[in-house]
Amino acid sequence: MLSPIEVTLIKELGKGKYSVDEAAKKAGIKRDTVLKASYLLQEKGYAEVITEVTRRYFLTDEGKMYLDRGLPEEKLVKLLEDTNDIKELQQKMGKVEFGIALGWLRKKGAVEIRDGKIKLVKKPEFKEKEWLRAIAEGKKIGENELKTLLKRKLIDFDEDKEIYVLIKDVPEVEICEYISDLTPELIKSGKWKNKKFLKYDIGVPAKDIFASKLHPYERIIRECRRIFLEMGFTEIKGNYIQPAFWNFDALFQPQDHPARDMQDTFYLEKYVGLNKELEDSYVERVRETHENGWITGSTGWGGKWDFNKARQLVLRTHTTAITIHYLALNPEPPVKAFCIDRVYRRETIDSTHLPEFDQLEGVVLDRGVGFKHLLGMLREFFIKMGFEDVRFRPGYFPYTEPSVEPEVYVEELGWIELGGAGIFRKEVTEPLGIKGKVLAWGLGIGRLAMLRLGMKDLRKLYQPDLGWLRDCPVVRR
Amino acid sequence: MPVVTLHWEELERLVGADRETILAKLPMIGCDIERVDEEHIDVEFFPNRPDLYSVEGVARALRGFLGIETGYKHYEVKQSNWKILVDECVKSVRPRICGCVVRRLEITDEVIRSLMEVQEDLHWTIGRNRRKMAIGVHDLRVLEFPLRYTTVDESFSFIPLDFEEEMSVKEILEKHPKGKAYSFILEGYSRYPIILDSNGEVVSLPPIINANRTRLTEKTTDIFIDVTGFDKNVDRAINILATMLADRGGLVESVEVIYPDSPEITPDLSPSKTNVDIEEVESLLGFKLSEGEIISALEKMRYGVNVKDGYFEVLVPPYRADIMHSWDVIEDIAIGYGYDRIVPDYPRTATVGKTHNWNELRDIVREVMIGLGYMEVITFTLTSEKVQYSYMRRKKPEAWKFYTPVMHPLNEEHRILRTNILPKLLEVLSANVHYPLPQRIFEVGDVVINMENKLNLSACSTHARANFSEVRSLVQAVMRELDLSWSVKECDDGAFIEGRCAEIVVDGLKVGVFGEIHPEVLENFGIPNPTVGFELDLSMLNTGELI
Repeated sequence: MLSPIEVTLIKELGKGKYSVDEAAKKAGIKRDTVLKASYLLQEKGYAEVITEVTRRYFLTDEGKMYLDRGLPEEKLVKLLEDTNDIKELQQKMGKVEFGIALGWLRKKGAVEIRDGKIKLVKKPEFKEKEWLRAIAEGKKIGENELKTLLKRKLIDFDEDKEIYVLIKDVPEVEICEYISDLTPELIKSGKWKNKKFLKYDIGVPAKDIFASKLHPYERIIRECRRIFLEMGFTEIKGNYIQPAFWNFDALFQPQDHPARDMQDTFYLEKYVGLNKELEDSYVERVRETHENGWITGSTGWGGKWDFNKARQLVLRTHTTAITIHYLALNPEPPVKAFCIDRVYRRETIDSTHLPEFDQLEGVVLDRGVGFKHLLGMLREFFIKMGFEDVRFRPGYFPYTEPSVEPEVYVEELGWIELGGAGIFRKEVTEPLGIKGKVLAWGLGIGRLAMLRLGMKDLRKLYQPDLGWLRDCPVVRR
Repeated sequence: MPVVTLHWEELERLVGADRETILAKLPMIGCDIERVDEEHIDVEFFPNRPDLYSVEGVARALRGFLGIETGYKHYEVKQSNWKILVDECVKSVRPRICGCVVRRLEITDEVIRSLMEVQEDLHWTIGRNRRKMAIGVHDLRVLEFPLRYTTVDESFSFIPLDFEEEMSVKEILEKHPKGKAYSFILEGYSRYPIILDSNGEVVSLPPIINANRTRLTEKTTDIFIDVTGFDKNVDRAINILATMLADRGGLVESVEVIYPDSPEITPDLSPSKTNVDIEEVESLLGFKLSEGEIISALEKMRYGVNVKDGYFEVLVPPYRADIMHSWDVIEDIAIGYGYDRIVPDYPRTATVGKTHNWNELRDIVREVMIGLGYMEVITFTLTSEKVQYSYMRRKKPEAWKFYTPVMHPLNEEHRILRTNILPKLLEVLSANVHYPLPQRIFEVGDVVINMENKLNLSACSTHARANFSEVRSLVQAVMRELDLSWSVKECDDGAFIEGRCAEIVVDGLKVGVFGEIHPEVLENFGIPNPTVGFELDLSMLNTGELI
């Protein structure tokens, strides 16, 4: 099969031999392209590529001088009209030029020497001069003449390599022109019709380009959001900075709980009042619940509850600080809400611990729901996440009772604990006036990312490596 | 959470079941199995179950759960004449003390080690690192009763555990390893709690260290335990220890603690009582259990049950430190019944889903930025003044009013919350200089200003020909898509090259900035190519209510 270039060459040139320049001119193709196509045609047996060396002659300085002032022998013949004494002639011409002149005249059989005298025996011809002129004018002269001039060092030459393409055969099959690049002109003129498109070597890789896209982590978050929304949950959002009251106290975390240590929580050197309404309605009840259980039926933690500790600001350690506040503001069932957002823990960075990470949390507030509904919700949620097998083990979280640790089955890994869940304790809901039971569950998105993206190092999520982002496929199987 | 190492042989013997059965059932009473080998099993128990921090406690729970021995286990306490006299002065330092004697124990090295482990786990959990509660275990033989719980000043001296020389209290707090570790608990006091025997010899300096002379040896058969602290955790701890040692075959004898106003007998190993309403069980669990099922579940969890009219009177074992509310008992009913037997049911709660504007807006912005050829990145919000301001050639603003410093940062990189995203993007570029150009990235996310979250969008582009018109085109496109009419104003921002940056102004307010990043900034971040960028505050759009 012939490419359009090859076809053009053959068609435009026809049988015969052409220099590359000629061929390029005739076929209207670049010299390099002609050369490439010629070699391809040679392989296919339609052409032959011949390299010929040509000489380009030019006059030497001596040659130029003689053309200008005449040949030495010509000069000598002229001088012979005045004298034929060798010594005298030598003096007049200079020894070297005289020697050359005499040598050539003798070679041509024009003179004889007798008793120190030169005698002209026949009138010599000075054809060399015409030859020189011809070369100077770029005309061609015979091989012998060239030899003579070369021998006399009146001319020299450069060698030029010239490549010729010899079209041996114009194939009998109909030469069909192939289209390489489809151009606007081809479309407009309709010239592409009745032509075929050149087939490219589809195996050759092209340059890599990279898609701009969502961060793979964001894609997981988006999937979780979609699931919540499909299940009828309202998305909520809160500030990173929260009073310890909402992060801990409202969740019945005792004030001396180890999780509240400076060791584990980022505190701010800032204390705030809660807003007046909150203080009036919640603070006293929360205090009593902590100290003696208030009317919740609990024993409480005992000891004194310190409002000042509740006033200190923290970087929220869980999104529950937001969900519990939302429920306090929306205490009438039914409520279904979710929050997926950043939380902070005072942890030294390593491959599975980060000082900040994203957490997912869902709550259902309703009357007439209980633990089995929490399990039902969890199972549905995880099935929607693609985890078909879900099972439940007892768990412990300070603000839920009963508590449960859901596990999902993952091929090759077995049963994997995925988050935690429970029903908010009465000590949490009653002081805030939340009516009904609150089913709650949460999990770290990092854990999901590890399962989904096969990640071993969570740092990669927040310290972007562009190579990884570019290579990370959007579709996961 | 404490990880308890249990010996298979001992555990199998005490439970009366093989290890396959134990391995299968253990997680269903509430724990995480950390590691299993031929001889040991490491189990992490929850912090609300300190009674499971010993092999005896685990065996007791498992025997119930497996149905080998169910129901309430009664522990005998022999009344005896051991006495502790409590002085008024301890009230302000460490008011509460309980004592207990356990006799006829076979004290091997293994027992001492396991006793110390339980002690440490209790100190750490319910003791809150000895602050709320601390335990001392002593050889009964060397003590002359009655003991006296009083206070001394810092010059008082005795030979503390693991030392041979007398040391004053002051020296102990400053030099003894335990003194150094726990002196913070006694900080600010001028008198220190001490337990003396009737000869005036020291028993213990709680919560720091025992006297050396009372240490247990292999000859010890009878021990005295003191627990000091502030509240009922003191009683919980002594009950856990007493029942555990009783399970080991020891005979528990009571100690009379005589406070200035009233005497008290410890340990009290009688059950406490909680009433559990049958209807509440159904309400909390969401399904009906028969009376028999509830009783069986409670007994598996080692409770005693008295059936009353419409409710159960539940006898809570003295070692259970976690039962604060009837719901705690109901959880145990669910565990005893078996979480794996509960049929999950999707709640019928009918609500309509709704997204939050904040994230809706982020999604819209993402669509635009990705369409413009920018790759999304996510970065930390914790950062430093250096990256946010000095690297950017920007003046450090006022703390609190503008940026938020955190207390006790873990390192120099995470000292404040970010107020701008652009410096974080430049950090990303500097970490990715080895990848092909151009690199175009963006982040739309939270910054924290004046302690409140705001939504910012920032993007930057780096390559050999990055210039002002590229970023202006970008900003034009973004503002067009967000349907914002805007204008530019000359700006004086060190982060950019002078005369090649602009403020984005909407409704007369500065809402953003864009331009060619100043070469000194590029040098600070280690970015070798021309870079342009912008940052835009999106709060003029509806970002919704934040909690």
